Amino acid sequence: MGKMDKERQLIHELLDGELSPEERREFLDRMNSDPLLKREFDDLRSIVNMVETGERLIVPPLFTSQVMRRLPAPNVSFRKRVSSFFFGVRVLRWNMATALATLCLVVIATGALLQMQKKGDIVSDQSSLEKATRTVTISFHAPQAEKVSLAGDFNKWSAEKGLMKKESNGIWTLEVPLQPGTYHYMFVVDGEAWVSDPHAESYRDDGFGNKNSVLRVSL
Amino acid sequence: MYKANENMQSEEYSLIKQCVDGDGEVYAILVERYQEMVYNIAYRMLGDAETARDISQESFISAYEALENFKNSSKFSTWLCSIVMNKCRDYLRCKKVDISIDDVRESLFSTMPDPEGSMYQKQLGRTLQKAIGALPEDYRQVIVLKHIEGFDYKEMESILGVSANALKVRTCRAREMLKKFLLETRGTDG
Repeated sequence: MGKMDKERQLIHELLDGELSPEERREFLDRMNSDPLLKREFDDLRSIVNMVETGERLIVPPLFTSQVMRRLPAPNVSFRKRVSSFFFGVRVLRWNMATALATLCLVVIATGALLQMQKKGDIVSDQSSLEKATRTVTISFHAPQAEKVSLAGDFNKWSAEKGLMKKESNGIWTLEVPLQPGTYHYMFVVDGEAWVSDPHAESYRDDGFGNKNSVLRVSL
Repeated sequence: MYKANENMQSEEYSLIKQCVDGDGEVYAILVERYQEMVYNIAYRMLGDAETARDISQESFISAYEALENFKNSSKFSTWLCSIVMNKCRDYLRCKKVDISIDDVRESLFSTMPDPEGSMYQKQLGRTLQKAIGALPEDYRQVIVLKHIEGFDYKEMESILGVSANALKVRTCRAREMLKKFLLETRGTDG
């Protein structure tokens, strides 16, 4: 190996940081006394610096997603697929658009749930009213009568629907299921005479000169 | 260049195992981590950003397909680099891309006179890339790995499958050749 080759080798070893401290000191001293050798080293070092500090390219956008889209489907057993479906860790990717869309869905779903709950409350109120129906026993003393009916706004004033049952003491009774509210009624004796209940809580004119009996059913 | 420490390395082994077990989604973490390194290696080897993107994406896909063959005794980064280098080599052989010293000279002639300006820096970067591109492929590999990505000779040995000593010699020659290209063009310019 010639002298120049040997020196070149030392320059490269110095650049690679492979000289011992003693070799390094000795070589630097030699360079200081040999301008050509120093020039050689400086040129090479500046080229290496230029390469090492050169601008790095920025990776194009969507690089990762493009790679992930092109990956082949994994060849795994059914058991592993099921296990991965339930227990596999997932990487969630999102952007502002999907986040806003999700937020809208959550708001809409919450609104719908609240509406359903309100509707449910109304239905449940109605069903509790139905549950609150009470059976009221209405009686009328008419020992001479052959037939007595109870007619009122709860049975569309039908004398046929509200046939009362006669007890041995001459009292006619009928059990009527009624929801809480105010009702008007009269007794129809022997299919002809419309008579008010003498024991009614109160009365109200029927517009034909008679008084309807008033019944109030509370909860 | 992204360098994985020991903790990162064991995390990478576990990510690779998850991929092999069928959970391919986690591969995105490895792609995110090494895309910059792979893309820059491909660019320096091929000299064209668009081709570099395609080749680096193909490298990641090939690496994914071969994950079962990855041995935990090596680093994922060096294993991945060997795949990129092979892809670049295949591409260059197929395309027979050849950059001559005249291209480098022409590039240097058009360098702006303002050495502080960003245009000058950009032009210098292009000239440097052309000079690297004008190196024979084996020399270009060692310059890219040693001086652009900062691998040591031991790591380069596992990437290129060539002994560290041979790589040292090759790197010396590559630097000399690069210096010759750049100084010659500068001399002609001056």
